[in-house]
Amino acid sequence: MRRRVLLAGAGLAALAAGAGIYRFTDVIVKHYPPTPYDDLLGKLADRDTARIIGARLSVEPDHAAARLREAVAGQSLARAAQADIAAGRLSEVAGWLLPESVALLAALAARS
Amino acid sequence: MLTDARTLPDGTGFSPDLAIIGGGPAGIALALQLADGKRDILLISAGGMEFDRAVQDLYAGQASEYVPLEAGRLRYLGGGTNHWGGWCRPLDPQDFEARDWVPHSGWPFTRKALEPYYPKAQQLVEAGPWLYDQGGTARASAHSAVLPLGDGGLYTSWFQFSKTRGGVLPTPFGLRYAEDLKRAPGLNLLHDANVTAIRLASDAKRVTRLDVATLNGRRIAVTPRVTVLAAGGMENARLLLASNDVMTAGIGNQNDLVGRFFGDNPTPRDVATLVLFGGRPGPFYSSNLNMGDGAILRAVFAVSAGFARKSRCLGSLTTLEHPVEVDAAGKAAVATTAAALGVNAAGARAYSLGCGLELIPDPDRRLVLTGEKDALGMPRLKLNMHIADRDFALYRHTLVELGRQFLAAGVGMLRINKHSRADWMATMDWGHHHIGTTRMGGDPKTSVVDANLRVHGLGNLFVTGSSTFPTYGASNPTLNLIAVTLRLGDHLKTVLP
Repeated sequence: MRRRVLLAGAGLAALAAGAGIYRFTDVIVKHYPPTPYDDLLGKLADRDTARIIGARLSVEPDHAAARLREAVAGQSLARAAQADIAAGRLSEVAGWLLPESVALLAALAARS
Repeated sequence: MLTDARTLPDGTGFSPDLAIIGGGPAGIALALQLADGKRDILLISAGGMEFDRAVQDLYAGQASEYVPLEAGRLRYLGGGTNHWGGWCRPLDPQDFEARDWVPHSGWPFTRKALEPYYPKAQQLVEAGPWLYDQGGTARASAHSAVLPLGDGGLYTSWFQFSKTRGGVLPTPFGLRYAEDLKRAPGLNLLHDANVTAIRLASDAKRVTRLDVATLNGRRIAVTPRVTVLAAGGMENARLLLASNDVMTAGIGNQNDLVGRFFGDNPTPRDVATLVLFGGRPGPFYSSNLNMGDGAILRAVFAVSAGFARKSRCLGSLTTLEHPVEVDAAGKAAVATTAAALGVNAAGARAYSLGCGLELIPDPDRRLVLTGEKDALGMPRLKLNMHIADRDFALYRHTLVELGRQFLAAGVGMLRINKHSRADWMATMDWGHHHIGTTRMGGDPKTSVVDANLRVHGLGNLFVTGSSTFPTYGASNPTLNLIAVTLRLGDHLKTVLP
């Protein structure tokens, strides 16, 4: 009986420590609930900031994700953004002119 | 010689070789150019040597979608240069071209025809050495970095400025050149003298007399061999339309063109917000930088001929104005975009952008005479002003291209602040550049004056100033109208050798 209690206590303590470590590292690398778009959203430096501007762009998430996967396939977001700029693919979001892939990514963040 | 028309006996007459109507920059430049003692010149200035409210009231009229007609003009020696900002920039070569996407466009000559006259015009406006697009970037770069722009439709161009004297405005032509006019051989400056009618011979082929009136009731008759009308974009049209005893529609108006195609450079404020990732730009972006050798420079973003042709847009010059704050959405847009591009935007700063625009020539933008008369019995004017939605849309397209080029260079990004006609009109201001009302061209059916600025069908009447510009780009007109006038002066030397 005492052994079982000890084991349960140790387990709980381990869980609590794990959660603490998880929250602590959130300061360094923010943790978000999983989404179907994590492969894309991981390219954002700051998802919370992106959400603020992304909320101003109306998109359908799955459609935006499909478009983005095509745009960033095999390259960095910076390269994809430069390709957008060179091709004149800009999105106007609250008046701001953003490379289309950056705008779609921000919009996706706002809906995730 | 200076003559105050108000002091002359009633009925006084003058018979000069050349009468120049208008004491603004065009009239003064032409008088100084031609006053070499070989011909008698009478320069007729409607105002005196300084502002007078009663004289200024002669300009009053009606306007829709525009400022009061007396607001952007000054009726005394020097004319508009008594309150100008001194902004100078030559017209671009494409401003002279017939552009298939711009109706009624095209001058009867190219910019090459004006190039011999720009140096003298530059000297008269006292804007220092000629730099502009030829030398502006090199000179400014020696002081501070010029912002790089990615490849595209806009480029960094340069305004130069007429010299200021302490707190005094840029070269006011009346004040600056009064002594030269007084001393010029064969030149009589008749001031406070208002031309109220241009009288024609009964066959409508020649000007025979100018009726001149003063506000104290004197009537003067001028019988010149040649007359040049240089009274500004509104008064040139007014005087031609009001002189309708022989040509009943007004002189030069047999095809109903005088007063039409009125143009200005609208200057809406805060058209966009530019965020520069690296912070503060060189001082010549948001203010006029004195380079120490007489040149005063300010950077602007101009449209290339290739982009204008490809995107079928018009001339515009975009200026960086003053710092502004951006809201939370703007900060998020900047941080997200800069991070995506791998650019550090920690020190980013935002600036308001302004602009000067060219408008699509529109015959319905028009000056007409009203039934109301001024103190001298001249019909007052009414202006029907209108900016088409397409004018705004074309410039918006230009702003998108500018934003794209800043992103391409990784130096900044842009927010467009105008989304509706109401947005544009809310911050609308004007250059007070009165253009196009006596347009020049080779075909008398579509123009009022020919390439030598002679009124079609009249042997001895010429018109000069920005009223003759069929199209006009976004450059301020003073430097250009002086160059056009000096070109006329060379022609007049052959007419009055």
